[in-house]
Amino acid sequence: MITLGHYLVVSGILFTIGFAGVMVRRNIIIILMALELMLNAANLSLVAFSRFHVDPSGAPNYNAQVFVFFIITVAAAEVAVGLAIVVALFRLRQTTHVEDITTLKF
Amino acid sequence: MILLLPLGSAAVITLFTRRWKNLSALISVTAVIGSFICSCFVFMRTDISAAEFTWIDIRGVFNVPIAFILDDLSRLMLLIVSGVGSLIHIYSLGYMRDDPGKSRYFAALSLFMFAMLGIVLANNFVMMFIFWELVGFTSYVLIGHWFERDSAAEAAKKAFLTTRIGDFGFMIGILMVWMACGAVVFDDVVAHFSKITSNPGYLTIAAILIFCGAVGKSAQFPLHVWLPDAMEGPTPVSALIHAATMVAAGVYLLVRVAFLIQASQTALLTIAWIGTITALLGALIATQQSDIKRILAYSTISQLGYMVMAVGLASNEAAMFHLFTHAFFKALLFLAAGSVIVALHHEQNIWKMGGLSSKLKITFATFAVGALALIGCPPFSGFFSKDAILALAFQRNMPIFVIGLTTAFLTAFYVSRQVLVVFLGKPRSDPARTAHESPPVMIIPLIILAFFAFTAGFEAVAQNFLIVPHEKEAGAIVPALAIVALLAGAGVAFMFYRNREHEPLHMELFRRLFYFDEFYAWLIKHTQEFLARVAAFLDRAIIDGGAVRGTSGAAFGLGSLLRLFQVGNVQAYAFLFGLGIVALIYFVIFR
Amino acid sequence: MLLFLVLCPIIAALLIVFGAPARLTALVAAIANLAVTLFVLARFDQSATGFQFASSLLVSSDWQIHLAFGVDGLSLLMLLLATLVTVAAIWFSDKIDNYERAFYACLLFISAGAIGAFASTDLFFFYAFHELALIPTFLLIGIWGTGNRVRAAWKITIYLTLGSFVLLIGLILLYQSFPPPERSFDIAKLQQAAAVHALAAPDQRHIYLLLLIGFGVLISLFPFHSWAPEAYASAPAPAAMLHAGVLKKFGLYGLLRLAIPMLPEGAHYWMYLLAGLLLGNIIYIGLVTIAQEKLDWMLGYSSVMHMGYIFLGIASANVLGTTGAAALIFAHGLSVALLFAIAGQIRNRTGTLAFEELGGLAKVMPFAGLAFGFAAFAAVGLPGFANFSSEIMIFFGAIRNGWSMERFHMFQIATVLALWGVVISTVYMLRAYRSTFMGTMNDRWAKLADLGSDLKIPIALLVAGLIWFGFAPQTLVQMVMPTFRTSFTANK
Repeated sequence: MITLGHYLVVSGILFTIGFAGVMVRRNIIIILMALELMLNAANLSLVAFSRFHVDPSGAPNYNAQVFVFFIITVAAAEVAVGLAIVVALFRLRQTTHVEDITTLKF
Repeated sequence: MILLLPLGSAAVITLFTRRWKNLSALISVTAVIGSFICSCFVFMRTDISAAEFTWIDIRGVFNVPIAFILDDLSRLMLLIVSGVGSLIHIYSLGYMRDDPGKSRYFAALSLFMFAMLGIVLANNFVMMFIFWELVGFTSYVLIGHWFERDSAAEAAKKAFLTTRIGDFGFMIGILMVWMACGAVVFDDVVAHFSKITSNPGYLTIAAILIFCGAVGKSAQFPLHVWLPDAMEGPTPVSALIHAATMVAAGVYLLVRVAFLIQASQTALLTIAWIGTITALLGALIATQQSDIKRILAYSTISQLGYMVMAVGLASNEAAMFHLFTHAFFKALLFLAAGSVIVALHHEQNIWKMGGLSSKLKITFATFAVGALALIGCPPFSGFFSKDAILALAFQRNMPIFVIGLTTAFLTAFYVSRQVLVVFLGKPRSDPARTAHESPPVMIIPLIILAFFAFTAGFEAVAQNFLIVPHEKEAGAIVPALAIVALLAGAGVAFMFYRNREHEPLHMELFRRLFYFDEFYAWLIKHTQEFLARVAAFLDRAIIDGGAVRGTSGAAFGLGSLLRLFQVGNVQAYAFLFGLGIVALIYFVIFR
Repeated sequence: MLLFLVLCPIIAALLIVFGAPARLTALVAAIANLAVTLFVLARFDQSATGFQFASSLLVSSDWQIHLAFGVDGLSLLMLLLATLVTVAAIWFSDKIDNYERAFYACLLFISAGAIGAFASTDLFFFYAFHELALIPTFLLIGIWGTGNRVRAAWKITIYLTLGSFVLLIGLILLYQSFPPPERSFDIAKLQQAAAVHALAAPDQRHIYLLLLIGFGVLISLFPFHSWAPEAYASAPAPAAMLHAGVLKKFGLYGLLRLAIPMLPEGAHYWMYLLAGLLLGNIIYIGLVTIAQEKLDWMLGYSSVMHMGYIFLGIASANVLGTTGAAALIFAHGLSVALLFAIAGQIRNRTGTLAFEELGGLAKVMPFAGLAFGFAAFAAVGLPGFANFSSEIMIFFGAIRNGWSMERFHMFQIATVLALWGVVISTVYMLRAYRSTFMGTMNDRWAKLADLGSDLKIPIALLVAGLIWFGFAPQTLVQMVMPTFRTSFTANK
């Protein structure tokens, strides 16, 4: 039987991979992709919760699925803005390596 | 009135007439003569009451009036102070004729008279202390009159500082008396005296501390070092301050608080011995000095020692008697010395003088009178007063008598030495050869003083002024011994110093003032200066460097540390963010 | 009436900023202030208790904060000091080359802050007016100072702000420690409430300690003193005069006005600590002063040292000592102002204040020598000047504390040591005078100009104040004593 726990573990692994990607990768676009991965991991766990927490009448709890829709929308908007920032940054610095952007360093 | 005249003169001169020197001089002299006339008046009449003025009054707790005490003692001192002061003012007209700082001089002189008269008239401890300090201040100004000279500036500083150290003890003594008796006015203290006599140790300490003030002001051992240096001031200043008035203030204080001192045997003994040591010390050093004024300065120290000795032997009358006669003959000697100095164009080394007896006849005659009085030669006044003290010592304390007699011998020795070298023999330098007598303005005071130096000792005369002490049981032995000492001293001096060109005796110890100055300088250097440097170092390095800069350094350091977090690297921020989340989860779930 | 006193300098400062002739306006404002203060002095009723000339404007009804002013003997004395020194400070300032208007505006703000603090009878404004004076001090030292001025400016400002912070905590706790119905920002009401039933003893101890440290930093109590010498050495003369003469005394005024009447138990508890610290001020700082080789540093350290005497009066816990302390506040303010003024003039003319380089100046600057002599001997405690009469009261008051004939109590020892401090102060002051004005003169100084004769007026004002209260201290005592009498009889 595949239980809620399995889904949560997968979600957790995906989240961790995404988080590690954010921390370690050098290319900004890859970081953005990893960020997307984290968001989708959260989506997965939400859907899993929706599927496995069932009302006494037998219907799944649809609140979580609605929440997932919100997250997808927001992720899309955020990617759009993020890519726009990346493009502006590239035009300024001619690089997409995050290590080269250090203006805030003391 | 007596007080206000000199004060007014000082104020007027300082504020207004500094440009017009002669006018300043005139104002000052008039003021002091006015005071003298008033003093005579007060002396004659016994029913004068004086105004009283509240200085500080916190009801029930602390009350200091500015009020006057007019008993025999203060009347006598009034006369002496204003009388001798007037003569010296007149003398100064001549001595300071060409001095550029004349106005300043006379202003300070008037202020000094004000302060000294205040001491004499004070009816309570605090008031006396006030005027005591003022006298110290004005003598600072007067000694440092020629302030461009480093030696004068240093001397003035030394004088004020040394007397201040004495005043430190004085003040503690006053505080102790006040705490016990609850009053500062002399009469009130006497009334409550039983409160303090109940604790003899306390009383002794208080008495000795008050004596400290006298030690400082009257240049007793060990605070005598300022007096000889104070000769840097103009000679009339030396006469007034160091011969006749200021140094006598200490003795006056002791007599005034005699009721306190005589209640403690230890205090009396201490005072007597300090006086004796001072007398001997002064005389020993005087034998080897070659500055005409310094000889007189050490002689003053010595004579003051006698007076203090008398106080310590519990006879105020003898002390006051000697003070009375000493005022006249010492002032006379100083003024005559000043006359010599002026005649020789400000030369002060006795080995450059000589043969002046024929050229400065009146000066010589008056100086001789003063010298004879100082030695204690009958029938001059000094004989009677010194004899009284010696008789006292003979009766009460034999070791002191022996030392006193030795000192008399030495006194005769160095005074004769001075007379011989300065006035007799052949002139030793050009100024000596071409000297001529001083102007009458300077001579007349000399003559007046000489007259008093001669007559003040006779009982018939002195009786009008004070109580003449009588020591009947001593008989003739004391005067006889005194005369023997006198003749011996003069004879020895004659032997050594007749017709000499240079100093025949060399006693380094005496000439170098028993190395007191060196000792004090060493002491100060190794205690106060050392402590000061340590304190300064501590302050800069530890309090300022350690605590204050340390705090700011810590603030800076902390800031630098925290700065390290701002790496500007987004991923690092993300990492830290993640860490924070983990910590939050931990705290929320597991706590 | 008192509102005028406070507003006058502020308005004058604003006028200057907007273009009025700087020095003239400042001078006019200062003299007007002095005139008003003298008028208040003349009309002051010495037998009445409580605050006179009171005025009050409601500022916040939630917190019951009023812009309230009033004077009693003690505040009147402080006001007199503040206005006198302000006139002198402005008169003594020389030509300023840069930002002249800002300079005078800063001076006036400091004066307004001090006057406001002294005249205020509301706790809130008491603190606020003092804070008003901190920033102008910073500007004055940092912009127009000499030597290591930027560092000195930072040091003094941050240090004093820290002290004010501690003070603020203390004041807040003081306010809180009163039971709610009696809580008020009005100082008079607080005093009465404290007199009726005393605050809890443990509270009193903590609050007193906080107030002592807070005010102590402002007064340069040992060991919180190291801001003072550097700041005074680097400050321009008028700023040093105002700060050392007036602003420092704010802390002492606060102690006398707040800590002593309302926290007697606390004062008693910390008496020995205070005695130890003030001896540090007198003896330790006295020794440090002797080791100084420059006149401005020496004067800075000496002003720290003299605070020790005022503390001794405060610590003596009786009417005599505290009256003496109040008198010495006044006397010291005047004398130190004059000392700094002359030192500033010398520095302007010779460019240096090192003892080795100066010497024999009295020959070319006799008037300066006379004035400095007055100030120096006043500071040393020569009778005839107010410093002496106040020190007498302090010594007599302090030695009385806890005395019995059999044994020697700490306070007696403290008094004896403090008296030795008088000798120490003589040493350094005389040495300074001798090194600066007497002795052989360096040829460099042969052409120096003496003090201008228009400076006679401010010098005369300062010296007159000193001599008046030196010769007739009873006038001062009568004015100030009723303030203390009530607080001591109520608590003993």
